[in-house]
Amino acid sequence: MADLFQAAARPPTAPAPTWRQELRAFLTEPPLVGVTAALVVGVVVFIFLPIAAVLARSLGWGTPDGLTLRHFQEFFSQSYYLRALRNSLVTSSAATAIIMVGGLACALLVTRMRGAWTGLLRLVALLPLLAPPFIFSLALIILGGRRGLIARTLDIEFSIYGWTGVILAQAIAFFPVGYMMCENVLSARGRPLEDAAADLGAGAWTVMRTITLPLAMPGVLKGALLVFVMCLADFANPMMIGRGLPFLATESYLLVVGQQKLELAAVLSVFLIVPALLVFVVHRYLLQERAYTTIGGIGVASEERPLPAAVLIPLVLLALAVVLVIVSTFGVVVATAFTRVFGLDYTFTLEHFESPVGWRALATSLRVSLAAGFAAAIPGIVLAYLVARKPVPARGALEFLTLFGLMVPGTVVGIGYILAFNHPPLLLTGTTAILVISLVARYVGVAVQAGISRLQQIDRSLEEASLDAGATPVTTFVRVVAPLLGSAFLVGLLYAFMSSMITISSLIFLIAPGTRLAAVYVLSLAEQGEYGLAAALSVILIAIVLACTLIIRLVARRFGDQALGM
Amino acid sequence: MIPSAPDSRTPRSPGPALELRGITKRFGPTVAVDGLTASVAAGELASFIGPSGCGKTTLLRVIAGFATPDEGTVLLEDRDITRVPPNLRPTAMVFQNYALFPHMTVFENVAYGLSVRRRPASEIRARVADALRLVRLEGLEGRRPHQLSGGQQQRVALARALVLRPRVLLLDEPLSNLDANLRIAMRSEIRRLKDELDLTMVFVTHDQQEAMSISDRMAVMHDGRLVQVGTPQEIYLRPADPFVARFVGQVNMLPAEVITVDDGTLRLRLPDGEAHVHGTGRAWQTGQRVLAVVRPEAVRIRDADAPAPADGPAAGARRAGPASALEGIVEDAEYFGTIVRYVVRLSASQLLVDLPDPRAAVLPRGRRVWVELPEVLHLLPAD
Repeated sequence: MADLFQAAARPPTAPAPTWRQELRAFLTEPPLVGVTAALVVGVVVFIFLPIAAVLARSLGWGTPDGLTLRHFQEFFSQSYYLRALRNSLVTSSAATAIIMVGGLACALLVTRMRGAWTGLLRLVALLPLLAPPFIFSLALIILGGRRGLIARTLDIEFSIYGWTGVILAQAIAFFPVGYMMCENVLSARGRPLEDAAADLGAGAWTVMRTITLPLAMPGVLKGALLVFVMCLADFANPMMIGRGLPFLATESYLLVVGQQKLELAAVLSVFLIVPALLVFVVHRYLLQERAYTTIGGIGVASEERPLPAAVLIPLVLLALAVVLVIVSTFGVVVATAFTRVFGLDYTFTLEHFESPVGWRALATSLRVSLAAGFAAAIPGIVLAYLVARKPVPARGALEFLTLFGLMVPGTVVGIGYILAFNHPPLLLTGTTAILVISLVARYVGVAVQAGISRLQQIDRSLEEASLDAGATPVTTFVRVVAPLLGSAFLVGLLYAFMSSMITISSLIFLIAPGTRLAAVYVLSLAEQGEYGLAAALSVILIAIVLACTLIIRLVARRFGDQALGM
Repeated sequence: MIPSAPDSRTPRSPGPALELRGITKRFGPTVAVDGLTASVAAGELASFIGPSGCGKTTLLRVIAGFATPDEGTVLLEDRDITRVPPNLRPTAMVFQNYALFPHMTVFENVAYGLSVRRRPASEIRARVADALRLVRLEGLEGRRPHQLSGGQQQRVALARALVLRPRVLLLDEPLSNLDANLRIAMRSEIRRLKDELDLTMVFVTHDQQEAMSISDRMAVMHDGRLVQVGTPQEIYLRPADPFVARFVGQVNMLPAEVITVDDGTLRLRLPDGEAHVHGTGRAWQTGQRVLAVVRPEAVRIRDADAPAPADGPAAGARRAGPASALEGIVEDAEYFGTIVRYVVRLSASQLLVDLPDPRAAVLPRGRRVWVELPEVLHLLPAD
């Protein structure tokens, strides 16, 4: 997903028309105006409005008191909420630090060494992408909970709940994001420069210290920011394993559901929105690759100069730790799913897969997520076409809003939807529709980006040829453009589908009492200590994500589209 | 000794500056360099040229230490450096893409090699200043690479290598990223530096013109082997085989048979007539089948329908001694400004002819012409 935050390089086009010319061109196509209007209304109402509602509510707007900073005062005067802020900042920073150090070590090994083991290392480093983030908390609880494997086998008082657990779980869950950013900045580009440094007399450590790391630093910091914001926004892990401690995301949920204190929940949300928005803007608009890329260029594939032992050994140790942790968490979840009682009775069994409640929850999840997938992909592709090809006014802002949905933490979307759609004319809370719509709002950006990047590969002259042959713009879109966008459509659909299957944060606010969704159900199963059932359901979710990821990869490779490769 | 003088100015050992003995380098099943032996004299600018994939860059990387040869030895002033890692070799390389460090200023780039050697700051400052003066970049110390033009980046790369006073300076297609005019200017710049600093240089390029204009000696490579080593003139005028002949410039390769040999003067039977020439290449014998290497600019061309001057081809053909005129028809003519290139159809083959300084009207297609082969022809055995 990290790639989505890189604005795709738009090829330069001949003299840009003025906005007047564009507006005139825009208004000459009535169907275009109609479709655009509908989509703009949708984006504004379902993405912009809820988030704006959160901000407004934090300032007391719409409450009897009117505009006020009282709720912020309350936040800052209560040490409990400040602790939530501190806990979130501390765990997110620690997890980010762990991820970046481990990610750099793994990326250095993968990009600088040869051998099949580097491919395997890369695979393991990316493995957490295939799982709902909360399975790591589940695994850690099974291993290190109060009555977990460690406490029982060693017969000691041991509990991983709290900071340690949250940090570890997040460090695993978001490891691939940090790793990918490191791999990106370390791959081939710097190699000729390292050769030059060696040629000028620098030894291996010196090359690393003066060339490799300084060149990688901007990218690594960029990655760290992204990881940090993802940790901050994470809901499920603090919920499951942070037990007892307040965190921003979880506390805002409890404030809404438990105490109906929407204003204070909105204030907490502001602390989640602002960093996310900042990082998003910085990533996409400010930190575009600078002159670094233009120099260096291609180079002859250099012979591997083995890293000296002094560098290699610490890297390998770090990588081994990463591999051990990732593989064991996966292993624990799978083992728990297929054994009677993990840690006590390792008899193989499928009994955990026989929960009718679980299957019903899964079926509901599938229905909701499939609906969300289609409902995200269709307007997403049309939006992509409008943004990339049509003289739509303010298309930049439109694209921004769709991406914004991706970036805003799920908890914020959840609170925003409660605030915005809890009264007529848009009384949606409690319905299945609100689940689907909120998911579309969050994931439509992927279809838009996939569509734009695909459109950049398709020459405009195809459409011009169709128009030239007498087809209307609508016919041109349906007969020429849409078929070519099939791959982007599929990617947008699958991404929205699988993300919807495993997300908890926004849905937990909106789900009607009595309705069960698979991911949310895993959370409550884990709380009840039903680890076998939770693990079994997780394994099914992993399989679904795995399948979707594989298809997306295949599609991306087939169409040579790197941007879709996630 | 001037402080900035490279170490290569110190007395040299009698042997060659650089010697390659039986270098073989394989990448999997492909043999990039195949048992190559060559040496470079001190103070010489030697270039390795060849089409892409001939192994010349690999060879340079073997010399720099980025690739370890599977077989063979690299000797630098009689010292075996085959297994010495690049950072400990007294060579310095100018990379094709310059490989300037983007996060460092010009000064820091040039100073890099000295600072990793922990030279005192005052020495670094002095030597960097000298190096920048040598490449005429004074005043740009504080710039970053991306703020420089291509030519300036090239000079920084040169200065960064020169500042280390390398025993051998390696240049990997250093001019290929520059535009045509700049390339010509940088060529003479490199020659000037070589003479000024008495440097030994190894230059790699695929551009035969560049190599000819800059080298003391050049080595033509093909499929990982050396095909011919010699001065640019030797290579151009007396290529060792058809590959070299074609690689270093436009050429007509005329198959012929030696009819008589008379004290170095040969009578050749060409498909289009007979020729009397002095043959170079080796001692030729009657009956041998050969290939005559005829450069287009060595052929003279005359309008056959114009009134023949006193020494016209008709007269030349009659004249005793080695001279050979053949009759043909202009099939195509391309005007380049400095020359006109004619394609002349002879009775059985066709011939490229370059007419220099073409101030007269270009002969039209279909015009009957006489072409006259040079008196001295380089011959290769026809296999």
